[in-house]
Amino acid sequence: MIKLTINNKEIQVENGTSVMKAAQQMGIDVPNLCWHDELEHFTSCMLCLVKDNGNGKLFPSCSVQTAEGMEVITDDDEIAEARKTALELLLSEHVGDCEAPCHMACPAHMNIPLMNRLIAAGKFDESLEVVKRDIVLPAVLGRICPAPCEGACHRKTVDEPVSICLLKRYVGDEGAEPEIIPAKKTGHKVAVIGAGPAGLAAAYYLQLRGIQVSLFDKAEKAGGQLRTEISGEILPHDVLDKEIDLILKAGVEFHGEKTIDNETFAEMQSSYDAVVVAFGAVGEGKKDFGLKSTDKGIIADRNSYQTSLENVFAIGNALRSSKLAVRSVGQGKEVAFSIWQYLSGQSVKGEPRMFNSRFGRLVNEEYSEYLKESVVAKRTYPEKGGHNGFSAEEAIAEAKRCLRCDCRAIDDCKLRIYSDRYNADQRRFKTSERRKITKLDTHSTLIYEPQKCIKCGICVRLTEKDGEKFGFTYIGRGFDVEVGVPFNEELEKALTETALKVAKGCPTGAIELKDNKKQTT
Amino acid sequence: MTNNFQNIDRIIQDKGSEKKNLIPILQAIQHEYNYLPEETLKYLSEKTAITPSEIVGVASFYKQFRMQPAGKHLVKVCVGTACHVKGAGLVNDAFRRHFDLPKGTDTDKTGEYTLEKVSCLGCCTLAPVVQVDDITYGHVAPDQVDKVIEDFESQQGKKGVKKFRKADGSEIKGEIRIGLGSCCVASGSGEIEQEVKRVVNQSGLRVKLKHVGCVGMCHQVPLVEIVPNEGEPTLYAKVKPEDVKNIVESHFEPPNILSRIKNKLFHFAEDIQTDRNWDGVQRYEISMREKPVASFLGNQIPIATEYRGMINPLDIEEYQKRGGFSALKKMFESLTPDEVVAEVKNSGIRGRGGAGFPTGVKWEFVKKEKNELKYLICNGDEGDPGAFMDRMLLESYPYRVIEGMIIAAYAVDIHQGYFYIRAEYPLAVKRMRKALEICRENNFLGKNIMGSGFDLDLTIYEGAGAFVCGEETALIASIEGSRGFPRIRPPFPAQKGLWGYPTLVNNTETLAQISYIIREGSEKFKGIGTQGNTGTKVFALAGKVARGGLIEVPMGITIREVVEVIGGGIANGRKFKAVQIGGPSGGCIPAEHANTPINYESLTEMGAMMGSGGLVVLDDTDCMVDMARFFLSFTQDESCGKCTFCRVGTKRMLDILENITSGKGKKGDIEELEKLAEWTNKGSLCGLGKTAPNPVISTLMYFRDEYEAHINGVCPTGKCTELITYSVNDNCIGCTLCAQKCPVDAIPFTPHEKHSIDTELCIKCDSCRAACPVDGIDVK
Repeated sequence: MIKLTINNKEIQVENGTSVMKAAQQMGIDVPNLCWHDELEHFTSCMLCLVKDNGNGKLFPSCSVQTAEGMEVITDDDEIAEARKTALELLLSEHVGDCEAPCHMACPAHMNIPLMNRLIAAGKFDESLEVVKRDIVLPAVLGRICPAPCEGACHRKTVDEPVSICLLKRYVGDEGAEPEIIPAKKTGHKVAVIGAGPAGLAAAYYLQLRGIQVSLFDKAEKAGGQLRTEISGEILPHDVLDKEIDLILKAGVEFHGEKTIDNETFAEMQSSYDAVVVAFGAVGEGKKDFGLKSTDKGIIADRNSYQTSLENVFAIGNALRSSKLAVRSVGQGKEVAFSIWQYLSGQSVKGEPRMFNSRFGRLVNEEYSEYLKESVVAKRTYPEKGGHNGFSAEEAIAEAKRCLRCDCRAIDDCKLRIYSDRYNADQRRFKTSERRKITKLDTHSTLIYEPQKCIKCGICVRLTEKDGEKFGFTYIGRGFDVEVGVPFNEELEKALTETALKVAKGCPTGAIELKDNKKQTT
Repeated sequence: MTNNFQNIDRIIQDKGSEKKNLIPILQAIQHEYNYLPEETLKYLSEKTAITPSEIVGVASFYKQFRMQPAGKHLVKVCVGTACHVKGAGLVNDAFRRHFDLPKGTDTDKTGEYTLEKVSCLGCCTLAPVVQVDDITYGHVAPDQVDKVIEDFESQQGKKGVKKFRKADGSEIKGEIRIGLGSCCVASGSGEIEQEVKRVVNQSGLRVKLKHVGCVGMCHQVPLVEIVPNEGEPTLYAKVKPEDVKNIVESHFEPPNILSRIKNKLFHFAEDIQTDRNWDGVQRYEISMREKPVASFLGNQIPIATEYRGMINPLDIEEYQKRGGFSALKKMFESLTPDEVVAEVKNSGIRGRGGAGFPTGVKWEFVKKEKNELKYLICNGDEGDPGAFMDRMLLESYPYRVIEGMIIAAYAVDIHQGYFYIRAEYPLAVKRMRKALEICRENNFLGKNIMGSGFDLDLTIYEGAGAFVCGEETALIASIEGSRGFPRIRPPFPAQKGLWGYPTLVNNTETLAQISYIIREGSEKFKGIGTQGNTGTKVFALAGKVARGGLIEVPMGITIREVVEVIGGGIANGRKFKAVQIGGPSGGCIPAEHANTPINYESLTEMGAMMGSGGLVVLDDTDCMVDMARFFLSFTQDESCGKCTFCRVGTKRMLDILENITSGKGKKGDIEELEKLAEWTNKGSLCGLGKTAPNPVISTLMYFRDEYEAHINGVCPTGKCTELITYSVNDNCIGCTLCAQKCPVDAIPFTPHEKHSIDTELCIKCDSCRAACPVDGIDVK
């Protein structure tokens, strides 16, 4: 047995135990990318660097064995900087998007590629469920949204973007409403002032979290500017009413024709656990209820929407006048999260945004690579024209045009998780031109995207260990080293028995199962 | 298919069919085909237990192996450090233009020529050097590449072609150096120079005349040094004009038989008349006995290079006559293994490979391991682009290195050893192979060596071109038939090395000094050098110094002494700016710190490193940012690609340096470079990565202003082509030489008028400036 200290705590481990394993025995998670439980240590990624407190030097904990009297530190500023730098170096050669650009461009951060895939599979109901996780008014927005997502679509740089907005409209119109399963009542009460897109969204998502919402509006019916500023030809009232009804059905108490003055506001502040201000632009002569504000609107935290008053949150045009209803809807969803944090006693930080790898513009020669997972087809326009939407066939055809830019490993990519944890900046080492993306999809169950590979060698070592005839190998060396199949053989030949294990072992999204359950359901 | 590869079957039979035989097999296949045809590799994988993954992984790792057929002739442009500072990059560009090679291709359309950059051909004094097949061309200027090829083609099919040729096709036989230090001039070296010129012109000899500065032997002036291409240089002191002819002619044969006969007859008559013959020349070969030139300049002490220029490398009797193998005799007769280790420990010798770990301690570690099987490896995988000491030692003193190996093996109880020698050193491999054979015949190897009862066998393993294999764990991986990936230490090779057995890895130079320690005693060795840094170190002195070559100096000698006394100062009247010590792992030490003694600690303190022993002198025309870029491009290319910090870190550092030297540098780049250098050092797995940032760190430490100037769009020395423009100044006499030389017609042909340069067309190849007789080209 060896006695050592890790983070000043003593531990005894078996002879031959690596420092990383010893730390794990104490419940300390040491980040690693090239480590695999079935394999010998390899010491490639250098994420597992820890410090020898004796000499102040960093060393890779996966491959250094514990020694008697060792003093190890697994986390301090220097170690964090080392890991961050290593991640940034890896990210500088990791060419791929985590979330698709449309997903990131969407002010409501809706998972567009997933919606597209479900539509393409004819699963409209499931698709609507996905949409409603972020956008509570899809049929409405499907008619009026200027679709910033389509501006970001990779397909746009070489072709026309996918008609995302109309697809969303289609499922909003045609998908069966997902069953609302509200969380257990928390007993908390929140007042939402203003029943425009921001207030409606806030009310809905708060209600889903088990928080009782009272929604106030000066007009008789909810809808705000959606009802008053947009022509019925573009946005028929029955469409609007249908979606508002669904929100109210979730349990929201609506109080129309209610004007709020300073006095009632103060009252609400004390009788409700929190108040959401979503009453539209704070123009001249309009009141701000004593909240800190500028000419443009009320001042609130950018992520949590918390105002100068602790239990008051502000969203939508109240912050800043804009014509982007989708942004208001998105903020409504986000504020619900902040308020939930606030009411459950957590620090109010707002909805977390994960790290995202991004490669920038898609270039022509990459388009054909992306088309391997898509179809060659012109953008679909509704046959009926005018303000009409897609037919089911049209929707499916259009959804198939999606290039599937989002990464299959999005939920469990260790590179992404650590990049997020260490706040890595992918653009730090953007010092030369990036590599061109290629996709190898000839395998029946796997897809390999070499430019996402971080050269950890897990696949090379796994296929070697398990005796694959061809397997993977390193080709070349240095920065230009690639992981590939010897003699340019087909992927199918390289990965036979090991396919599943290799896909699971890949710490990032370079080798993934084509059919990732999480991302098609 | 099977029947078509009898040759491969033969190779497998000859080399073996296990993974450890992979590199020799691939070398044999390449020897047969000039590259590695994929079908042969597939066949190999079917016929042996070596997997496709292993074959492709190894074949693509080592530089030696080609996956594509090469042209009939190989044009190797040396881009080693010395050649780099003398413009090898421009020469390479000129060849690319000559062969019309588009980006990414190295073989011309006709399939005749393949252009290749190589790191150091070991002819630093002839820089820039180009090798076409086995003909070496020295002092090649960018505008001479056509002539090089023309000459090469004219030599095809001829027998007995001289191996050293000037770019214009004439043979260069060597160099005559005349001291022009103040003492020399005062003593009449001007007259000597006139006489040398006369003699040379009369005889039609092709030699270079070079002026060198003070060599610190002012009591012996005037000095004339004769440096033939092959063999050792000789220095003559107190030369009189009438001695010149004999001196010159005793070293160089006049170019054709007719003129030689004529000269001889002429001689004869003259001798009779004047009664003056060779013996009449006052001949000072100032070293003790007949020491080679370089070795009697300054404070040099030959240990590894003992009897330099005097012993025939393979003449075992001569070696013994000069004290060779007497250390073995002494050891077998009077020393126990423990005593040998103690002696080596006491000598204080430290590993000459660069890191300076005490050799005796390393021996002790391996000795302590109680294992039936242990291995000894001589690390001759020298890869520094400006160093060739190991090659010289292996080629010239094979027995001395073998003797060191036997001593080490005896001391540590090892019976099997390897010479790991780069395949790029065919002569070293050949000599060593022969030397081993002779040793076996003479019972210096094999069973019961010299009747001592001690057995040892040594074999050669040829490396296949990977700088990283100088790192001992990578070297071991390579012998095992794998990619040269280093691994974490501990376990050190001393505990777990080759095939998992305790292994002693020593550098060639270290081993070459061992016999001296045993023969002369550790105390004597310890008396050389300084405390903690005992003995001598061999350096490859090159660059802008008047006299380059291999030197062996005691530890603790100052940089100044090396540059000024041994190297003869800076050539061509330029200013001494810095020395680059230690190659890609080392750093640049500026002239103002020239009093720094050369030892492990002081060099490290100055931001350099003993490293492999390259010592390149730089003058005021050398751009320090470009130097950093040069070394980073080398290490980046040589990184094995295993660990993140080295694989990507060196690449990103190089990116930033390339941006800075091409005018794309921006604010914050220097700071980012510094950060990256720090982390690449701290985070890399092996020595290659850990020391790769040194050239950057040291130049940033001493020449930060040059980096800043580049960021502001100026290269102070006018080296970085993208930051400079060429123009014609008023000195121009309208001679059209520049217009004739310009490869892109950027200079209109306007005789008798001041010329002009179209900067849009100009490719900054420097041909015009080199051609201009009146200094009429400005570079700003």
